[in-house]
Amino acid sequence: MRRKGEDPNRSATMQTESMMEKLVGYILLVGVLASIVLIAAGVVWHYAATGRLGLKYSISGMNLFQFVVKDFATATHPPLRPRLFINLGIATLMLTPYVRVLASMLYFGFAERNAKYTVFTALVFSVLTYSLFLR
Amino acid sequence: MSFELLLLISVVAGFIGAMSGMGGGVVLIPVLTLLGMDIKHAIAISIVSVIATSSGSASAYVRDGITNLKVGMFLEMFTIVGAIVGAAITLISAQAPLFIIFGVVLLGSWLTLLLRSNEGWHPVEHQDRFSKWLQLEGQYYDQASHETIAYKGRRAYFGGPLMFGAGLIAGLLGIGAGALKVLIHDLVMGLPPKVSTTTSNLIIGVTALAGTSVYLAAGMIDPALAAPVIIGIVAGAFAGTRLLVRLTNQAVRIFFLIVLAILGIEMIARGVGIIP
Repeated sequence: MRRKGEDPNRSATMQTESMMEKLVGYILLVGVLASIVLIAAGVVWHYAATGRLGLKYSISGMNLFQFVVKDFATATHPPLRPRLFINLGIATLMLTPYVRVLASMLYFGFAERNAKYTVFTALVFSVLTYSLFLR
Repeated sequence: MSFELLLLISVVAGFIGAMSGMGGGVVLIPVLTLLGMDIKHAIAISIVSVIATSSGSASAYVRDGITNLKVGMFLEMFTIVGAIVGAAITLISAQAPLFIIFGVVLLGSWLTLLLRSNEGWHPVEHQDRFSKWLQLEGQYYDQASHETIAYKGRRAYFGGPLMFGAGLIAGLLGIGAGALKVLIHDLVMGLPPKVSTTTSNLIIGVTALAGTSVYLAAGMIDPALAAPVIIGIVAGAFAGTRLLVRLTNQAVRIFFLIVLAILGIEMIARGVGIIP
């Protein structure tokens, strides 16, 4: 399906680019929406349980992966479940651009077969992976 | 600070952030510090929310075919390293310099928006070999003028290293540093204004993630405060994004000239101690 104003004779490269745009666009959209739903669910649950909107807790000295693992460890304690949802929402948010970069890398590598951009994207992916494991 | 207040501030910040392509932080951090939050914590919370603002608005721009994914990918190699370095500097820095740098960056953005407000976009005629090798070109359908605009990018050899600096500022101050990115896209690389704004938005998400990881590892991100900020900022950004695609560049610029000037002066005044 073409949008108004687009050239009907778009090349194959442009069509694959357009597919890539859809893929990246939807990853970002789904990631942000999922994280908002998780965070909002956590806040609403906390409000239902305590009658207060504000929460008080902090996490310290954890990287994203330790943070997520700890979330699942606390899932067995029912009073902590609203917190689990909020934490998972934040984790989902952080993973959204990360997954976007991963998808771009696979796309450049396997669909567009663009070696240059596969390498660039792989570099970005590696640095992000490193930063997520920082502590 | 109450949940309701944080939510309200964040809605406004998200709206302004999306309209400018600068991320919500430029409004969020000054307001949070005015209400008594420590600037380093404000920076850390802001940078998480910047992932949400930019990813949310970028999703619409990317699907509309305005964002240039290759330009984004190439420049992200530079911005993420900058963001990690910047965030590491903030962790060991004193508070006053952060206020001053924040104010200076805001006023710098103000000046660049002011100076380029009378200039239209001139397409790049001669693309250098490096930028050509990087395949920095594209086209998009402009909803305001109802035409397809084709363009080429140039001087990627300057654009890349300069984007390290933009990433550094982003990580250091917890903002998207969109104005700097847009400036580099516009003036150095010759991209059309809408492409530079929307591509900057895409880059900001990944850059903010790199910075967020550093602040998270340092224990600076409080999920209880981040929750209302993220929800509010996404709600505001959603509204702002829908408006940007339809507005002319000029209207957006005048609005930001006013907002940026006030916030920039206020932050510097606090950094040097004129305002407590």
